[in-house]
Amino acid sequence: MTSATGQKKRRGGWIKEEFGNAERRTAYYMILPALLIILAIAFFPIMYSVLLSVTSSTITGFGSFVGAENYIEMFQNEDFWEGLKNTLIFTVVSVTIEFIIGLGIALAINRAFRGRGLVRAAVLVPWAFPTVISAVMWRLMFQDQIGVINEVANGIGLISEPILSDTTLLLLGAIFVDVWKTTPFMALLLLAGLQTIPGDIYEAARVDGANVMQRFFRITMPMLKGTILVALLFRTLDAYRVYDLFWVMSGQQLESLSTFVFKSVRVSQLLFAQGNAASVFIFVTAFLIALIFIKVFGMQTGTEE
Amino acid sequence: MTERKAPRRTTGRKLNRRDFLKLGGAGLAGAALLGTAGCGGGGSGSGDLIFAMGTDTSGTLQNLIDKFNKQSKGFKVQFREMPTDTGQYFDKIRTQFQAGGGDIDVIGADVIWPAQFAANGWIADVSDKFPESERQKFLDAPVQSLIYEDKIYGVPWFTDAGLLYYRQDLLEKAGYSEPPKTWTELQEMAEKVKQDQGIKNGFVFQGDQYEGGVCNGLEYIWTNGGDVLDPNDPNAIVIDSPEAADGLAIEHSMLQEGVAPQSVSTYTETETDPAFLNGDAVFARNWPYMYALAGTEDYPDVKPEQIGIAPLPVAEGQGESASALGGWNMLINAASDRQEEAWQFVQFMTSEESQRIRTLEATLLPTRTSLYSDQEIRETVPVVALGEVALKNARPRPVSPYYSDMSLEMQEQFNASLKGEISPEEAVGTLQESLTEIVQAGS
Repeated sequence: MTSATGQKKRRGGWIKEEFGNAERRTAYYMILPALLIILAIAFFPIMYSVLLSVTSSTITGFGSFVGAENYIEMFQNEDFWEGLKNTLIFTVVSVTIEFIIGLGIALAINRAFRGRGLVRAAVLVPWAFPTVISAVMWRLMFQDQIGVINEVANGIGLISEPILSDTTLLLLGAIFVDVWKTTPFMALLLLAGLQTIPGDIYEAARVDGANVMQRFFRITMPMLKGTILVALLFRTLDAYRVYDLFWVMSGQQLESLSTFVFKSVRVSQLLFAQGNAASVFIFVTAFLIALIFIKVFGMQTGTEE
Repeated sequence: MTERKAPRRTTGRKLNRRDFLKLGGAGLAGAALLGTAGCGGGGSGSGDLIFAMGTDTSGTLQNLIDKFNKQSKGFKVQFREMPTDTGQYFDKIRTQFQAGGGDIDVIGADVIWPAQFAANGWIADVSDKFPESERQKFLDAPVQSLIYEDKIYGVPWFTDAGLLYYRQDLLEKAGYSEPPKTWTELQEMAEKVKQDQGIKNGFVFQGDQYEGGVCNGLEYIWTNGGDVLDPNDPNAIVIDSPEAADGLAIEHSMLQEGVAPQSVSTYTETETDPAFLNGDAVFARNWPYMYALAGTEDYPDVKPEQIGIAPLPVAEGQGESASALGGWNMLINAASDRQEEAWQFVQFMTSEESQRIRTLEATLLPTRTSLYSDQEIRETVPVVALGEVALKNARPRPVSPYYSDMSLEMQEQFNASLKGEISPEEAVGTLQESLTEIVQAGS
């Protein structure tokens, strides 16, 4: 009892402290509109989706509570597994390659050389393309009648069948296109990080006799860790919800988690609730990925020291 | 805030409020995909009658509406342009209906939509206004596409059907005076012409995983005597039959024997047009529109006079050809409070005169049988005369309130069977199961 009243008192004290002060009250008033908007456009839809995912709702009407049934059915759905498998392979492989190439590019354009500005601008070109447009462009290049890549790959005996009619080749193609498109973004983020490392540290290391490899692994990498984690998290979450590249480039043949959600919610009439379960699944797993980055890799989330 | 007073932790980080907000931000990436709720009121108020239809590039639609507005008494019709992409158009209309009806009174609708709308009570039953005696003036298949549970929900507007296009000049050179009657004949002819005259492909069609792939797959099943739904009981799935499996086996053999290019499993109409009209294929399965593209600026290589049109071939021992029905109907929103005015407009648009104008000026195929003997139409729009038999053989795709789901399943299985990833028997077996589930979920 005593502890309960004590808590109550403290809670009262907290409210008083926060709202008794006129300046703080103004601060709350000022963030209130933003808070309300977040509640309305983010929190409400998320909660509504979670709610839909545990009911037998259809696109036309709200259904009764069915517990985890939609989730169970989702995990029994082959298309879902196909989408999950493709999404995971796509995310891991493309982000890894993008990171390695991106770091290389960042290190290269971090040095002063003639025409650096031009190279930096040129590197960004693929990233500036809207994904749908690059997806259509690459689809045409992969295509068998007019596609230059298909023609060349066929000519040198790399492939025996048209790229677009084979799911494995399509997935490889999607990874390739994503690497082409988003490596510049990765490079740019890493470059920004590299430029915050003061040059005198390298000078001091050189005086101490550290060679290139030592300087890279002992100075560059540790100093760049924060930036690397942010870049990887951005790209991982981005790749994890891939939709437009798969949908357009493969002509809807390549399944990802997001295309599964779209098909279930917008095309199908019976999989509506299951599609909501899948979107909750994406939300929760994306959340977990972010959590892993913060807790396991120790990513800094605040800006202050 | 309270933690401002507490000394900031430097080690052993716990999840604080700020972290939580950041996490939430990251999670929003996933949240962007979450579904949203629809809201809004329905029913149209006063003002113009609203008519929705996909983009009309020919301009005849607006002309017809203007004509109607000039002669109509008391109300005007306003055209609301919808997405050209049928899937997007469907999505948009469905969203409006879900939100309580929306303000659209009359809808130009794809032939696969009526059952899906009717089952939800979204479109008006016009059985009384459109009696049997009137229905007989229209082609049968488009009328069938509008019937759901013995009631009719609209009026056929214009039609479409899968046709066999062939290169008359190449066939003649090879000594063939007639187009193939069976799929086997088609394969033999294609093979011979391909080799003798150095044509790249024998046959092209639409094998991609999409709605058009369903039409193509169904045609092979139908022309081999199979079917998806029992004609006598629309709730019974009968696709798991040797006829259906063999039909899909014929489709796969086109690819396997090299009659069709391997990439045909990724072809839609967009890939079919250039393959045939640039002279790279002997045969093509496509909708009537392709005929009008021959010899135009985009495709100058193959002239209309080099092209012949025939009904789709059938399997050995089968009698009647069958094509998938396409085309558009006119429906009335059940929530519209101007049913009479809407009906007047539907009658006007589907009248013989309006259909005639639309056929002559936009080369769309009429649904009124009388127009098929109209001399001017037969001369100006040759595909009407050439495709007449095939158009009369057209069959609607399964009429079901859950057609979207059935289509998704068929798209996947037909495409996989075409590519040879699964056997035709597996495909029809899987479909038997999944389609039955869909039909049962609906009843």
